[in-house]
Amino acid sequence: MKITEDVIRKITLETIEELGLGATKDEIKNAVRSKIETMNIDNIDLEKKNMDSGKVILTSFGLNKPGIVAAVTRALAENSCDILDLSQKIMGDFFTMIMIIDITASPKDLNEILKDMQKVADDLKIKIYLQHEDVFRFMHRI
Amino acid sequence: MQYEFEEILETIRMTEIEHFDIRTVTMGISLRDCSDRNIKVTCQKIYDKIIRYGRNHVKYAKEIESHYGISIANKRVSVTPISIPFDSCKEEEFIEIAHTLDRAAEDIGIDYIAGYSALVQKGMTNGEAELINSIPQALASTKRVCSSVNVASTKTGINIDAVKMMADVIKKTAELTKENDSIGCAKLVVFANAVEDNPFVAGAFHGVSEPEVVLNVGISGPGVVLDAIREAGHVDLQQLAEVIKKTIFKITRAGELIGRKVAKKNGIPFGIVDISLAPTPAEGDSIGDILKAMGLEDVGAPGTTAALAMLNDAVKKAGLMASSSVGGLSGAFIPVSEDMGMIRAVQNGNLTLEKLEAMTAVCSVGLDMIAIPGDTPVETIAGIIADESAIGVINDKTTAVRIIPAFGKDVGDFVNYGGLLGKAPIMEVKKLSSAGFINRGGRIPAPMRSLTN
Repeated sequence: MKITEDVIRKITLETIEELGLGATKDEIKNAVRSKIETMNIDNIDLEKKNMDSGKVILTSFGLNKPGIVAAVTRALAENSCDILDLSQKIMGDFFTMIMIIDITASPKDLNEILKDMQKVADDLKIKIYLQHEDVFRFMHRI
Repeated sequence: MQYEFEEILETIRMTEIEHFDIRTVTMGISLRDCSDRNIKVTCQKIYDKIIRYGRNHVKYAKEIESHYGISIANKRVSVTPISIPFDSCKEEEFIEIAHTLDRAAEDIGIDYIAGYSALVQKGMTNGEAELINSIPQALASTKRVCSSVNVASTKTGINIDAVKMMADVIKKTAELTKENDSIGCAKLVVFANAVEDNPFVAGAFHGVSEPEVVLNVGISGPGVVLDAIREAGHVDLQQLAEVIKKTIFKITRAGELIGRKVAKKNGIPFGIVDISLAPTPAEGDSIGDILKAMGLEDVGAPGTTAALAMLNDAVKKAGLMASSSVGGLSGAFIPVSEDMGMIRAVQNGNLTLEKLEAMTAVCSVGLDMIAIPGDTPVETIAGIIADESAIGVINDKTTAVRIIPAFGKDVGDFVNYGGLLGKAPIMEVKKLSSAGFINRGGRIPAPMRSLTN
């Protein structure tokens, strides 16, 4: 949230009321400043809460072979990613696996995790896609 | 699971196979506070302002791209129509401003900057005349600057003097850039009823009622619609409209998400989602192919206009449901050079200029990226612009002409720009003269808005 002129005016009026008519200009100024500063902290907290959920959807495809789930989950575990849901299907020779993972606890950001997963994908000769959950929520839920 | 298996696979298929991408995120920047008596100071102010707002534009857009796994094809900037804040400038000074825009665009890492523009639908100021006269030189001596001029509107009618002037500017631009297949003309748009929040370059500009800075998004996705129609098989047209709407709904939602995130990262307000279906020269990413998938033998067959009208309408309905910020041009683009399906139809002799003109009556945005013989007379080009403007003015919609009289080339030849601009076969133009009509000059009065038959 931005602090607009209106907000400042409102805070100033409140402060004047609180301090009474005897307050000096400097007293009012300082009081208003400290109020705005605390507001800012509140704002940042609010922003954090509003931030993305940290849920990422991992999709992988490829020729089926032993060890794929193990390799993918090991890499996720090394990055402290929490697996919230997992679904897997085999269609003929191909496997498809979809996971919903939570990356909030991970020290790495989505791009870095993506790079690590790319290595796993290259080793196993499969495809791995990571996309933030918001895309799916926006496209498939009203 | 929170999401169905099929939903997730559908999204992956769209982004990975069907060329679904965000066509453009365009940052609109107002330059109205950059005017100064000294042109050097003016240019410095323009440069500083574009750098200040735009320096992280490309970086942030790329971060959002990888975050959501959806690619953003173009990152661009539009500015206030240059003729408005700098009306006191002379031709050479306008060219200096064009060079400043070019340099600023290069320094923030974008390929095009648009807004070297004037709005002269009713009449023109001295400054606007100077700007229009400077366009050929400005486009020939810059790489990234795009220009547009609005010559008509439903409220004012068609300024035929300006139309003729623009036809002349187009011819001069073609000659000045003849070394590169007259590429200058690919960066020059003549509008009727231009919109102020269009994110699509070359016709973008940051309108006078827009805020200080804003981020607008243009979606894309003909490939996704094409596959959905193919998959639907033989269904009736109502069901087909439903299929198109469902697909566009999802694309628009993703577009709005990406736009809002890029705007938030830049710390600027989000403007609009333009729900235009914008093709690219990539195979399958084509409006022409969609029309064929709808059942036409080729673009240009009788029924083409009806099919396009239905497609365009379905796109709008779905887009409006998906986002409350729909704006810009919002329709289906039918640029010839940027669409493999359209190029093939022209080459096979199935699609003519006249049919294209009819098609523009039901979709945005006009005769776009059309190459014609280099020896086409100025009055004929003016006639084409006047016709297209009339369609826009009478139907209360935006129309545009981006036409390339390819210098030294004739029917059977090609202009080839590569990249997103693609390549265009030279189309035949009627040899009949329009000179008597155009040379009368003046303005076609504004039309009436009732008894609209």
